[in-house]
Amino acid sequence: MDGKKPSFSGGKALEVRKRKEPPSGANGGKTQANPARASKRGKFYDARNIRSQPSDAALQDGRLDLQQFLSAREYEINALESSMRKTKAANATRVFQQVPRAMRRRTASHNVKRIPKRLRERARREQIEDNTPTVDARKRRPRTTRARIRAETAKKLDILAARKKKKQLQNSSGQADLEGKEGKATPTVHTRAPRPKIRRNTLNDPPRTKTKFSKRQINKTWLPTHLWLAKRATMTKPGQPLWRFAIPLTPTEKCYRPTHRASGQKGVVAWDMSYMSTIGLYGSTEGVERVLKALGLTQEGLWTNRGRKWRNGSRKWTGILSKQSRDSRRDIGPATIIWNPKTVGPDTLMTDASSPKKSQRQLFVRTHPSCFLELFNELLKLVKMQTPQLHVEDLRFEIGSIELTGPGSTETLLGVLQPYHDKPGSEGRHARVFGSLAGVANPSSLPKDALLAFSIRDPRLSYPPRTITIPNGSNSPALLDTLTTWPVDEDLKPFGLFSRDSRFQASRMPPQKSLNRRKGTNTPGEHLSITAVDPPIPVILLASRPATEGQVQGTWTLLAPWRCISAIWYSLIHYPLTTGGNPRLGGLDEIRQIAFEQGTPWFPGDFPGTDAGSRWELEQRKKRKQDWDRRPRGKRVEWKSLDLGAGRKGEVGDGFACDFEHLFGPSKGKIPATSETNDADAMDPSTPEDSDASPSKLATTAQIAKTSFTALLASSNLDEPPAHSIITVQLTLVTRGVANTCARIYRLPTVAPEVALPSTVADVPATEPSSSNLGSLPHDLRDQWLRKLPLRAANTNIASSRRGRQAKNGPAPPRMHPGSDLATRKLVIAQSLLTTQLPYPRPAANQSDVGGYPLCPGEEDLIGFVTSGAFSLSEGKGTAIGSISAEKALESWRGAGACEGKLCIVRNAGESVGWLARWELA
Amino acid sequence: MVRLKDRYLLVSIVYTDVPAGAHSKGPSPVPDLLLYNQPSEGALKPQLLLKAIRSEVASLFGDCGSGSVDRSLQVKYLSVATSTFILRISRSHYRLVWAALSFMDRVPIKNGRPCIFRVVRVSGTIRKVEEEAIRRAKLLILAAKDEMAGKSSNALEALFRSKDPARSLTVLGDQNDSEPDSDVAMDDG
Repeated sequence: MDGKKPSFSGGKALEVRKRKEPPSGANGGKTQANPARASKRGKFYDARNIRSQPSDAALQDGRLDLQQFLSAREYEINALESSMRKTKAANATRVFQQVPRAMRRRTASHNVKRIPKRLRERARREQIEDNTPTVDARKRRPRTTRARIRAETAKKLDILAARKKKKQLQNSSGQADLEGKEGKATPTVHTRAPRPKIRRNTLNDPPRTKTKFSKRQINKTWLPTHLWLAKRATMTKPGQPLWRFAIPLTPTEKCYRPTHRASGQKGVVAWDMSYMSTIGLYGSTEGVERVLKALGLTQEGLWTNRGRKWRNGSRKWTGILSKQSRDSRRDIGPATIIWNPKTVGPDTLMTDASSPKKSQRQLFVRTHPSCFLELFNELLKLVKMQTPQLHVEDLRFEIGSIELTGPGSTETLLGVLQPYHDKPGSEGRHARVFGSLAGVANPSSLPKDALLAFSIRDPRLSYPPRTITIPNGSNSPALLDTLTTWPVDEDLKPFGLFSRDSRFQASRMPPQKSLNRRKGTNTPGEHLSITAVDPPIPVILLASRPATEGQVQGTWTLLAPWRCISAIWYSLIHYPLTTGGNPRLGGLDEIRQIAFEQGTPWFPGDFPGTDAGSRWELEQRKKRKQDWDRRPRGKRVEWKSLDLGAGRKGEVGDGFACDFEHLFGPSKGKIPATSETNDADAMDPSTPEDSDASPSKLATTAQIAKTSFTALLASSNLDEPPAHSIITVQLTLVTRGVANTCARIYRLPTVAPEVALPSTVADVPATEPSSSNLGSLPHDLRDQWLRKLPLRAANTNIASSRRGRQAKNGPAPPRMHPGSDLATRKLVIAQSLLTTQLPYPRPAANQSDVGGYPLCPGEEDLIGFVTSGAFSLSEGKGTAIGSISAEKALESWRGAGACEGKLCIVRNAGESVGWLARWELA
Repeated sequence: MVRLKDRYLLVSIVYTDVPAGAHSKGPSPVPDLLLYNQPSEGALKPQLLLKAIRSEVASLFGDCGSGSVDRSLQVKYLSVATSTFILRISRSHYRLVWAALSFMDRVPIKNGRPCIFRVVRVSGTIRKVEEEAIRRAKLLILAAKDEMAGKSSNALEALFRSKDPARSLTVLGDQNDSEPDSDVAMDDG
């Protein structure tokens, strides 16, 4: 190691030098030490040293002088200021620490190429100064055998390629000579480019991939933007795809709060949702109508005049589809249904020639991949029952989609999607309406279920997308007029996306190479203009609003041909927003987060009553069990020893599960009927529990809709919901606490009839019942819980609350009067010491309360489970989405009224303290 | 993360041996402010200063006090021309040093003149101390000019008891310090 003249230019430096050198000996240590390090130390010493003057600088010939005094002060000011400047410049931070967090690559911080250009020079200098080992890929020597073989192969391939190129060059020049002799060679046969096969009434194959990647897509399909996503997001594990797709789960950078902000206040979140499945349904109007009715679209409004716009194709419909099982209906999952507008005029190509009077219609049913197969099979069954037969097409890999949410979503779409037109003004009505949407900050301000279909230019033609100018005063009258009248209904033409040919045309976009060539000849900064080779890309834009009312952000869904998605995605994700920044990438977790913050259930996780939901739940159980198994014994919840108070041991049901099997299962009979007899006999006639107590109980739970539940509520005769039916609810924790997934939901404990005590139970000391009947819940548990309500606590007068406290802690100690003398004071203290009424024997811990908190109700009051819960950033407190038994919810509602009936207690799995919450139908 | 927590003391030496108005007459009149803020002698070195403070701490607080102060006491800046210095001391013991400074009444050199060591700023960062020193230097310049022009006559007033907080030199300004009794002893002049 020569310490005198280091050379850092070549690759030689990194193999000889170590980063840290041991402190060298005393003699000759200075010459041995790293010069860069020594110079750095010197630099810091210089920076921290403050200059000062000798004393005669302030004196004039040894005497005091004003001028010298002032100049000495000035010198001091300068010295201190320069010291502050120097120390700041020489602070011990590296350049890569100044890079914004989202841009940092900690693992590659030694690679200057990873650092933004403006900082690169400084980074290089810093690395030379402190001798960071740098990597130059070109000069890296292969270290492992495998790498050496690879390098050798690469070298051989290079030689081969060069040889081939040379040969080609020779051949082509030879041919040119030939052609020059023969004249221009004209192609004799024109062939159609091969279209991908779309088979009817059967599943289709995923798109052909590059051979290089095909091995990785045997068990799954990549999204069109997979290569981009895989670098920026955590994907599903290679061996465990989700719904047979490689789906981004969450971006690699921390993004919980940024996503919350981007979705509600400022910015955009974008998802590649190409994994959503589209099914095409084709056939006569009547047949299609029958099929849809069989799928649960039985609302009156859809088929009368009110649903005309939907059936014409200018609106979409979103809702839950269901199927008929033996004797009841069972939900499949949410779907969006779009009709293709009818062609007008006699010269239509779409109408079937054989039956001209029967109008043929086309529909898209867009659904979640987890319930795709179920829906497809159901559709197939229904379609084959119709005469004349309809047919379905599996368009999963034909149509991809992108979703955007956030205040800037409309702006982003406007900046990226440019309507395709040959001559100005010919772009069509929908495109014009879309162009006039500048200034819309929330897609849900559009008419409900609005839909726009038009063709766009290839977004790569105008690739670096530019910020659009938004007309100031976002509520311009023209925009408001557009939003209210929504003039899209007249002269509807069939949507291009429904046509297989136009989809195929769109997917034959010119390659990026040719675009680059065109750009090279173009003026810099100018967008490319359309030529004959640039096909129009048919798209459909859907604006949806969440089910919850209020000013919640809606979502834009962009449907486009599968192969065009990546081109749109690159433009979209680089769009510079007017509010600054770019759209953020979202993954599956972000979808769930936003749905949770908006209080809407997420399919399939929050729908345990569907097949897809129960499959999801089972998978999550397995995952939770695995996580639990991995933890050391001392750091995991021991379900069996969980103390629920009042002598109850062990978690209710399976701690890893939203255990609906337990809720509806036969284990009810095993519970010792302590005091709750009314509960049992109320349910006996309605629920034949023992008849279908199978292990796959989860599959028998069924979701019932909000509307049917409210109908049940309204009905005067005490109708019972179907057995094992659950409803999805949104829970808000009233005071404190956060509910997690699998948390147990209890209703308020029902008051035992034999205890004929009115609400003055507070007078009774709480210690009494617990000492008398050990092992049962306190009889005033419901009141204890109701007292936790903040409103209730305010209403009860102070006296009673004081008495309540008194009942807990024994009688208050006698007051000491201010004027009393020492003897009386002593007496009072002695009395207070002697007369404390501590119960004897002391009650066991967790007998009447859990650390001063009311006990959790018994298992008979268990009504459901939380399927997703957390602290909600939008609400500022814990909220949750859960599913509760419709029957028990009805019972408590009818028993206690709308206000108290909606109160429930949420207890996390593995915890003994419950929190008061209120449920609303979601 | 473990951090060494320090305090920085900005100290100015105020000379008290020359009576006010001693140089106001004569061929080159000098404002009284200059008498108090005279330059120190060049013989005053950081080592001497440290030694004096240590011995003072030892005499006031004994072995325990001197032991706790010994290691961390350091002179970061000493300007004899302006009679200002900055000390660094560990946070838990800065009061011992302050007390020692208050009890010192001479410049710690041979035949040192009588003086007061006035702690004008305690801070957790040297930057704030430097800012305060700059502020004080600027104010001193202004005050000296004022006095020369005959606007204010009392130099002590200007030094210690100014009413205008923006132009006051008396502000100890220990915003970084939460101890309630740290803003004491400001009128030790």
